[in-house]
Amino acid sequence: MASRRRMLLKVIILGDSGVGKTSLMNQYVNRKFSNQYKATIGADFLTKEVQFEDRLFTLQIWDTAGQERFQSLGVAFYRGADCCVLVYDVNVMKSFENLNNWREEFLHQASPSDPENFPFVVLGNKIDVDSGNSRVVSEKKAKAWCASKGNIPYFETSAKEGFNVEAAFQCIAKNAIKNEPEEEIYLPDTIDVGAGGRQQRSSGCEC
Amino acid sequence: MSDSDSNPNPLENPFKSLSLNESQSIDTNEVVERSANCDSVNGIASEEEKNTVGLIRAAEAQVDESSSSGVAWRENSQYEAEDFAPSSPSSSGYAGERGSSTGTSAGPIEEVGNDGIVRADSFSNAAAESAPWVPGKRHLDEDDASISWRKRKKHFFVLSHSGKPIYSRYGDEHKLAGFSATLQAIISFVQNGGDRVKFVRAGKHQVIFLVKGPIYLVCISCTEEPYEALRGQLELIYGQMLLILTKSVNRCFEKNPKFDMTPLLGGTDAVFSSLIHSFSWNPATFLHAYTCLPLAYSTRQAAGAILQDVADSGVLFAILMCKHKVISLVGAQKASLHPDDMLLLANFVLSSESFRTSESFSPICLPRFNAMAFLYAYVHYLDVDTYLMLLTTSSDAFFHLKDCRTRIEVVLLKSNVLSEVQRSMLDGGLHVEDLPVDPSLRLGSACPHLGQDRIAPGSPNRFREVNVGIGGPSGLWHFIYRSIFLDQYVSSEFSAPLNSSNQQKRLYRAYQKLYASMHDRGNGPHKTQFRRDENYVLLCWITQDFELYAAFDPLADKALAIKTCNQVCQWVRDVENEIFLLGASPFSW
Repeated sequence: MASRRRMLLKVIILGDSGVGKTSLMNQYVNRKFSNQYKATIGADFLTKEVQFEDRLFTLQIWDTAGQERFQSLGVAFYRGADCCVLVYDVNVMKSFENLNNWREEFLHQASPSDPENFPFVVLGNKIDVDSGNSRVVSEKKAKAWCASKGNIPYFETSAKEGFNVEAAFQCIAKNAIKNEPEEEIYLPDTIDVGAGGRQQRSSGCEC
Repeated sequence: MSDSDSNPNPLENPFKSLSLNESQSIDTNEVVERSANCDSVNGIASEEEKNTVGLIRAAEAQVDESSSSGVAWRENSQYEAEDFAPSSPSSSGYAGERGSSTGTSAGPIEEVGNDGIVRADSFSNAAAESAPWVPGKRHLDEDDASISWRKRKKHFFVLSHSGKPIYSRYGDEHKLAGFSATLQAIISFVQNGGDRVKFVRAGKHQVIFLVKGPIYLVCISCTEEPYEALRGQLELIYGQMLLILTKSVNRCFEKNPKFDMTPLLGGTDAVFSSLIHSFSWNPATFLHAYTCLPLAYSTRQAAGAILQDVADSGVLFAILMCKHKVISLVGAQKASLHPDDMLLLANFVLSSESFRTSESFSPICLPRFNAMAFLYAYVHYLDVDTYLMLLTTSSDAFFHLKDCRTRIEVVLLKSNVLSEVQRSMLDGGLHVEDLPVDPSLRLGSACPHLGQDRIAPGSPNRFREVNVGIGGPSGLWHFIYRSIFLDQYVSSEFSAPLNSSNQQKRLYRAYQKLYASMHDRGNGPHKTQFRRDENYVLLCWITQDFELYAAFDPLADKALAIKTCNQVCQWVRDVENEIFLLGASPFSW
């Protein structure tokens, strides 16, 4: 019964500025696209409910700013993330090369308990641009990188056309459940009046 | 123990030495929008408030010409969005006490926001009066995009340090995930800079932050309550959470920052909504004191004796309560109970329906006693309002405590304690109309004992003939007396003209503000304060032994008000055997 409860997933979207993170979110959450570029300041927060295998999920999406000057926000923003989405622009080589930095920065700052198996998803965005003629990162190359990092799921998307966006987020939900920790029984201490007074401390950290 | 021996000097115009601002007609009215320059993030009180502390506010009450009584009631003041009227804060919750029609509410009053928009779900005063407040979550369909949600006067949020929602007063937590993330981002951003955000002012709204390890609490309010009061409310919400889970919950976050606390709090919405509701009617939430049900000294002694008997058999605390009022309580040697813990425990028991239906044994934590660990509470209702709580450290004490309860119940029935409790519930406590005016009358047989010569409850004519509808002598409307040594307070019953729940709530807010300004660490503490605005004359007097908060008619005479306060203190001392739990109290040292 407990496992059937609603689950809230914190999803962090990372990638260079201008790769289309906000556009992907807008397409996914609001089914809208705009050609105009507006830089995200700090982070935007969106909420989306998804159904996956008759379970209801709420995705709490942290659409972060790609500019370097916001990187100091990292620790605060990444804490307790359930999934990290790395986005690059298939038409910009640098944005692909930076995926490695984004991934390492995330693992460093979020310090998840099991970094090897932390759920990432990689999205190669803007495949619609110039009918694919200006593309510089091949699907093969991207998949090879994903495979080398512990088989990260890879999707090619077009935020403008809404292509593959839904599928990518379904995968995010799926990955997050796989990573769901086992439910532990919550069992705090009981006061032992006999042994050393009432303000006795348990072994746990006192914050 | 009793403070009658240390009888402090009467309050003989304590304002003599202070400067007087007769002509300065500063408007302290809560309704009036404050000056725009109080948008400071670090400031505590606005300049204006600072100036008032310790000064006499002798500004003439502004009389509304349309008001025949000369009392300018502002019916369109900012009421908190509450769907139902708070239940009467009087001990009995007895409907007959609110039956007077002499109040100022001439007809149904729509709840109007300050922006002039009538709230879609507003209730008329009349409807609000008759509908009892029901705990539980409301407006689940709302989220931060809903206009109705944005218009609510007072929000409370609890979230984890990763931004996952734990509790929201209004709206569905999951739908507010984005909003919750924003709050975390703000808190964490400031934390990242090695700093701490206390509050933000944005126009009429205050956003108060409280960080408790991995748990973040936020209040967003446009009720104009002082920062200290709202922060205290967040502390109590956190305490309520600890009462249910203990501070060990922090370990879950250490192990796993993704940890979702909501399942552990499953089914406790009513506990939190009831606590939040009590912020607008229960003075214990800001006085940090508890109140007793008025009882004859011998009756309370009889209850205390049997509780002491079981406490000696390994029970840590034995508490007998009637609604929010204590009948008697006893603690094991050296164990002391903080009034805040009592408030949270009583709220937990009273708001959880399941305690009413059967005897229960439940793990609970008393945050001020030991925040890290659980105790076990045996809870049993002896009648519809009266309940017994036996707290122990032993998880297998159920049957022992059940036996204890049976013994207690037998004694209470035999010694008529329960019927006396019922009677006291009907009679209520101190009524300002009963305040003995002439000191000579106090001597001899005319000593005003509680419940004496009461007009039959329910009778439409139960207010004193002399003072129908205008409160007590010298325009005294209401008072709260808090005994510092006893950690207890006594509050007079509400009567005309404080009939409606909104008027009562407004008075509590005024007291709360007075309390905050008297205890302001920045330029306090203060001994006396007298302030007059168009709603009340408020008088506060703090000595080593007690704190007195009194509300008078806005046109009340200052010298008479001061004299009346002395009479109130004398009266309280005269009946202290009946209104306070004396002697047996383990918290007095």
